[in-house]
Amino acid sequence: MKGKWFVISAIVFLWVLTFSAVPGLCNPPGFDDKEIRIASWGPLTGPAAPWGAVSRGPAVLAAMVNEQGGIHGRKIKHIVRDDMYNPAQTKVVVKELVEKIGVFSFVSGPSSAGGLAVKDYLAQNKIIWVGPATSVKEYVFPPQPYLFSVYPLYEDEGSVLAKYVVEKLGIKEIGVVYQNDTYGRNGLDGVRQRLSHLNMKAVAEIPVEATEKDLSSHVLKLKNAGAKAVLMWVNPTTGVVLLKTAATIGYKPQWVSSNTLSDFALMNKISGGLWEGVITGAFMLPPDSDDPRVVKYREAAKKYAPEERFGVFFMAGMMFAEPLIEALKRVGKNLSTGAVLKALNSMKGYQGVGPKLTWSPDQHQGSDSVQIWKCGPGGKTILIQDWTVNELAHWKKK
Amino acid sequence: MFGQLIIEGLSIGACYAVFGIAVVIIYKTSEVINFAQGEMAMISTFIAYHILNVYGLPFWYAFVGALIFAILLGVFIEICFLRPAKNPSVLGLIVITLGAEMLLMGLAGWKWGAEQKDFALPFSFHKTHELFGGMVVNDWAIAVFVMAALLMIFLYIFFRYTKLGVAMRATQQNEHAARIMGIKVERVFSFAWGFSSLIGALAGMFFAARSTLDPAYMLEPFLRAFAAAVLGGLMSIPGVVIGAGILGLLENFFGFYWPAWKPIVAFLVIVLVLCIRPSGLFARHYEKKV
Repeated sequence: MKGKWFVISAIVFLWVLTFSAVPGLCNPPGFDDKEIRIASWGPLTGPAAPWGAVSRGPAVLAAMVNEQGGIHGRKIKHIVRDDMYNPAQTKVVVKELVEKIGVFSFVSGPSSAGGLAVKDYLAQNKIIWVGPATSVKEYVFPPQPYLFSVYPLYEDEGSVLAKYVVEKLGIKEIGVVYQNDTYGRNGLDGVRQRLSHLNMKAVAEIPVEATEKDLSSHVLKLKNAGAKAVLMWVNPTTGVVLLKTAATIGYKPQWVSSNTLSDFALMNKISGGLWEGVITGAFMLPPDSDDPRVVKYREAAKKYAPEERFGVFFMAGMMFAEPLIEALKRVGKNLSTGAVLKALNSMKGYQGVGPKLTWSPDQHQGSDSVQIWKCGPGGKTILIQDWTVNELAHWKKK
Repeated sequence: MFGQLIIEGLSIGACYAVFGIAVVIIYKTSEVINFAQGEMAMISTFIAYHILNVYGLPFWYAFVGALIFAILLGVFIEICFLRPAKNPSVLGLIVITLGAEMLLMGLAGWKWGAEQKDFALPFSFHKTHELFGGMVVNDWAIAVFVMAALLMIFLYIFFRYTKLGVAMRATQQNEHAARIMGIKVERVFSFAWGFSSLIGALAGMFFAARSTLDPAYMLEPFLRAFAAAVLGGLMSIPGVVIGAGILGLLENFFGFYWPAWKPIVAFLVIVLVLCIRPSGLFARHYEKKV
């Protein structure tokens, strides 16, 4: 008899547990009449902490909006949590934000692994996520109803950069150094796509691990292969080690890099000035630009986050949040997740300080273009090519 | 190209060797692998960076200041972290060093931030000298070779002809007997930690000049130096130097011909050596009689 009651109790307990675990059922709402809560996660501490700035940037945009009275009477509250660049921790902080605090939408969020760890959870809970601070094909192919990407694909960037090197610089001997992960391989795919279109091949394609500190053999291989331009999809430290190592053997190719190393102020400083002359892709206007929109952001950052360096990562955080703010404005007073989704899905050619964005219910990869920058003296940004579309992009032809 | 690969392999190998010696000195006295070795070197290098950039003092002041700090840090960790452990097993002590590693990394992140920093030595990698057959060697590599050679000579004399060196060897071979012979074992341990920390700091500054300075920058060099120490023999200083040279060459040749395999060479070496000759290629094997 006791056993029977035990089984019944267990079934009831499991049923209650399952019922209470239905996504979105008991979560606090992400907005009320007075405020809309948006959130970001990012590595505020730990080895990837420099990228944490991208998660703190949206707070300044929120402060700018609030200063003007908010959006249709509601203030924007931006909450940021530290995931230490650890996907397990990303899950913890996102769960806390969704289930305990109540969040209407997420913005930004670096780390591909962290994003992939929470992507499905956010979709199950019907939480909008705008502008992941990394380019991951799995975010948007196939389109996820609640996820809207701003970041240009590394593949498109690779193709545009390779085209620039071949056609504008007239260099045919191209070497590629790529981080041996999705990020690096996507960049390599873009270079291959362009070179194959031009009936060319890279003279060397060299994988590196993110933690490697001795890259002498890689640089010697590039030199031996006769690479006159080297395209990189690597992290900042690897980029610096490559340039320093090349200097030790007197090897001076044209270095070209992904937008991930476009924080020239930082890169030039940590490379001891070697970054001058490096060409990179870019997904927004330069932070030291005189463009009125950038000037406005720079001034706001000085006012609301004086302790922050207004570099690429920090401004990118603001840029990733722009389309969400725009969608909230377009929705009007009757705010709902459905209404914001509709506004985002109908965005065509919207442009803040980043690339032009177009989303539709079938296409959530918003941008298809990159700028090309060059690092000038003292880490100053020189814009050498304005927004350029990768006309070879496969994803737009689907 | 072949000759240049040898120069590059030996120069990074020499840097691993110096750092590996730091690991071996602690192991030789206490049989503890110090997993905080990299972070001790990192903090000391940050001290040099701080003196250079915050106080604006010349490099050699920063260099000496960092080395003094490194000695004090090593002694502090031994006295405050390891010594209080009651009836410690070797495994327990290793776990304590892991805790110290995390603590030091957190401390550096809090004080100096996680953003990479530039740390330069007066021995620039920009300044190259042509040898023969198109081979070049830079000042950084020359400085590393000189440092490793001087250190080897010093350590040979120290362990063979000084009382303290002999006391360190005696403590490692039989701590109990060393105590009976009047050796102040605690002092020997403190000295070993301070000395090892100093050597680690030297290597740390060279590694930072080659890449960037940030709280995590010594994680990878530590693993490489540890692999070199295992290869050469954790008890043998010349073994570590030869092991590091072999590792540097292996990595460079693998990196040139099969780049994708390069990162795992060091770990393959550890596994192979542990399987075939657990005490390392050059360590003498002591057997304790019951």
